[in-house]
Amino acid sequence: MNLASLAARNVLRNKLRTVLTVLGVAVAILAFVLLRTVIWSWTVSAEYAAKDRVATRHKITFISPLPVRYKTQIEQIPGVTHVTWASWFGAKHPTRESDFFQSIAVDPPSFMAVYDEIILPAAQREKWLSNRQGALVGESLAKQFGWKVGDRVTLAGTIYPGDWQFDVDAIYTVKRSSLDKASLMFHWDYLNDSIDARRKDEAGWFISRVKNAGDAANTAKRIDTLFDDQDAQTLSMDEHAMNASFLGMFSAVLTAIDLVSIVILVIMMLILGNTIAMGVRERTNEYGMLRALGFLPKHIASFVLLEAMVVGLCGGGVGLLLAYPVVEQGLGRFLEENMGAMFPYFHVDAPIAGLALVLSVALGLVAAIVPAYQASKLNVVDSLRRVG
Amino acid sequence: MLLMIPLSYNLRSLVARKGTTLASAFGIALVVFVLSSSLMLSGGIKKTMGSSGRSENAIVLRKGADSELSSTFETRLINLILAAPGVKKDETGAPLGGGEAVIVIAVEKAGTPGKIANVQVRGVSDNVLKMRPEVKLIEGRLPQAGTDEVMLGKSVRGRYTGVDLNLSFELKKNRKVQVVGIFDAGGSSFESEIWAGVDTVKSSFGREGLVSSVTVQLESGSKYDAFKATVESDKQLGLQSFRESEYYSKISSGTATFVSAIGIVITVFFSIGAMIGAAITMYAAVAQRRREIGTLQALGFTRRAVLGSMLVESIVLATVGGLVGAVASLFMGFVKISMMNFATWQEVSFSFTPDPAQILISLALGGVMGVLGGFFPALSASRTNPVIAMRA
Amino acid sequence: MTPAGSVAEAAPETQALGSKAVVIEVKGLSKTYFRGKEKLDVLRDLSLTAHEGEFIALMGPSGSGKTTLLNIIAGLDRPSSGSVRVAGADLAGMSDSALAGFRAANVGFIFQTYNLLPVLTARENVELPLLLTSLGSAERRRRAETALKVVGLSERMDHYPRQLSGGQEQRVTIARAIVTDPKLIVADEPTGDLDRDSADEILSLLRKLQTEFKKTIIMVTHDPAAAESAGTVHHLDKGKFK
Repeated sequence: MNLASLAARNVLRNKLRTVLTVLGVAVAILAFVLLRTVIWSWTVSAEYAAKDRVATRHKITFISPLPVRYKTQIEQIPGVTHVTWASWFGAKHPTRESDFFQSIAVDPPSFMAVYDEIILPAAQREKWLSNRQGALVGESLAKQFGWKVGDRVTLAGTIYPGDWQFDVDAIYTVKRSSLDKASLMFHWDYLNDSIDARRKDEAGWFISRVKNAGDAANTAKRIDTLFDDQDAQTLSMDEHAMNASFLGMFSAVLTAIDLVSIVILVIMMLILGNTIAMGVRERTNEYGMLRALGFLPKHIASFVLLEAMVVGLCGGGVGLLLAYPVVEQGLGRFLEENMGAMFPYFHVDAPIAGLALVLSVALGLVAAIVPAYQASKLNVVDSLRRVG
Repeated sequence: MLLMIPLSYNLRSLVARKGTTLASAFGIALVVFVLSSSLMLSGGIKKTMGSSGRSENAIVLRKGADSELSSTFETRLINLILAAPGVKKDETGAPLGGGEAVIVIAVEKAGTPGKIANVQVRGVSDNVLKMRPEVKLIEGRLPQAGTDEVMLGKSVRGRYTGVDLNLSFELKKNRKVQVVGIFDAGGSSFESEIWAGVDTVKSSFGREGLVSSVTVQLESGSKYDAFKATVESDKQLGLQSFRESEYYSKISSGTATFVSAIGIVITVFFSIGAMIGAAITMYAAVAQRRREIGTLQALGFTRRAVLGSMLVESIVLATVGGLVGAVASLFMGFVKISMMNFATWQEVSFSFTPDPAQILISLALGGVMGVLGGFFPALSASRTNPVIAMRA
Repeated sequence: MTPAGSVAEAAPETQALGSKAVVIEVKGLSKTYFRGKEKLDVLRDLSLTAHEGEFIALMGPSGSGKTTLLNIIAGLDRPSSGSVRVAGADLAGMSDSALAGFRAANVGFIFQTYNLLPVLTARENVELPLLLTSLGSAERRRRAETALKVVGLSERMDHYPRQLSGGQEQRVTIARAIVTDPKLIVADEPTGDLDRDSADEILSLLRKLQTEFKKTIIMVTHDPAAAESAGTVHHLDKGKFK
């Protein structure tokens, strides 16, 4: 038995109140972890973006395409190892219209060279490369729609109207998080041959791979300079910057969620602080007795602070215990399957869990500072006075 | 006869425990504030998008497109559409309708260099103001037909670098446009758009011969069905039509639902926190007042009266907190936020719109929290044994 | 009844003064409280001497200052004027933390209620004062167990206060008061909350401490039987000995 264990055991005094407080902290931590995971999952694409890739799009509006012939010119730039392009197709599942997913028309050989994080069995790869109507599907997407290799699927085009048929030739996964597992890629030739002359030979955007990640920024500038005097000017950025600017469009929502996650912590501190303050008020006689025995004000303050940290820790622990199943099994499954494009990786990131635990203890400490100080400053004689 | 403990007892007790009363009331105020605000924002989104578009207008898109942005069809179809039954004619006998070309351009946000936003540019036909009477010029003048002059919706000005009255900016390379006017559009999403002549937009972006949509004004809302039937009858044309109001409602529902969902999830968590906080406080209050409660029972007040009294106290606390939260949320009415409408990729300004029903719902939530949080403590109070309580 | 200002020798246990060390020496002690503008003279020019092994009772009506006197002797409060020497230490000039250290080393406390921490067992409560020393946990346990043996509660070592009767709680308190082997035991209404039988048990324990362990005891009480157990009784009224 020592000062610390005494402080810890004090939480057992009023079990109901402690349980309620731990619950309150746990709910706050659960909410905090949930919200931060939403933000993290949303923004993780920017974090994990490949540093050695540069994306090039039309300068003014992403709706306007670029001429496909730009590819050969970009390839000439020193330091660029591979160039590929993609066009947004915007397919919809015929019966599940509200399940948004990314579908793009690509040039398979160069695409695979640039996105080397794609993993798929060699046989499937060969099949897809050779089948003009073939589709390469991410494993989350395949799971979401129940597609298997060999299926023939029909998708509704939005930008390019009509029903489009594809063979699911290959299902991919990724060895790095710089690409999601929820996209569908098919042959650009298939698209290009099927549309009218006016829209032929256009690319939505280009992706170039550079030898050194450090050259990415410069390469981006060089690409834009190359096409500056052309009708279709370009805007190039490394993938990280591109994803970040995309997220910037959601900044209002992200900021709001961020703010709320902080407010939740404040509420948690209020609940905890209130409970600790109540405990201090009730134990005035005891603190007097301890001071009489020779304990110093700093000891009294430590009791209060330690008790708060223990409750905070318990609450944080319970909160995390709840968070894992809710986030991963509950909400996570739902989001990854139904909104996989926006939330490709929805699980509790270890640093977030660690942060939550540290915060529950640290904020417990902060919430208890005032009550601890007041407790330590109590006049010994007054606190020994019999009440009632 | 149920003798009720006078309310003044409860009120005075609340005042006596100022600190904890305030803390609990604050918690409840916060929950009500959050719920009310998110309902207000969701309502604001619906209102902005909803007031965009009238039920006596119809919009025609290419079949399969889910918004104007992904819709393109040939200009030769415009006349076919304008000739459909139900389309209102103006004083010269010309049909009130026209093709529009919609694109989204990237512009730099004012004040944050490097951060870009997507703004919708709508290429409109010359008779657009007749079709959309809710649009009114509030500053400057209307752009002249056939020129590269544009006007800005009032939410656009000041938000983006170089885009303001009497300035010119590049729509695309070597294609400058001059801002000559600012318009008000009754709080609809048009206020977040830049309006240029349809030909300006088409020629700037290589859309000669194509439009995104055709909007017509109908003689009356009831003429819609006939119009729709005609437009969609020929499958070869590949067109679909919506009432303008329906269309805007559709493209905003995703965003509105998203905001409501987040608001509700956050509210649920906050409510649980507030109820726990209230319960802790009420339990402590009951513990502190055991002797009082014992005395009240000795005086003749029944257990039920005690239970009722403590519940009432809890409800009063929650109602006061709820009122504070609801009133505070009304101040959000002065706030406008800009967010991206998911369906159309454009940045739209939304405001927080108060609505009596929402306020009542939020207040009711406050009351419910008071009852739930205070129930068990009240029950505990009613179980006080007066003899033991008064001896302490 | 004793004449003002002198020490009475009523009980047979006390021995010749000269051979015992002086444990308490109070001279010209006054204590004044200020409540706003109001001045309250709680103690007026008191003097008191106690030798090792004396058992002193302080009695008097409410507001007579007896608890204040007790607190000052115990090092819980400081005098407004006068001198207080206890166990060789000059308390009047000591800082708060010095007083705390003094108390930890030299004083054992027994209060009327709220003595024991409910979350600790009897033994752990007795160990409490030892946490302020540098003893290891094994040694602390040993001493606590010894103290509990003295008060006859060895078989209740691992019980929590709620499992003990009022009398047993006070006995644990006494064990705690002696575990650091202090020179002085200070008791404020130790039998106030107890029934007659338990009260008598406590009083005989205190006498045992005095005779067997040579502890000096100073006690505030309303209980005439308690006063009888003490060797010396001082009556206070309005801050002065009667």
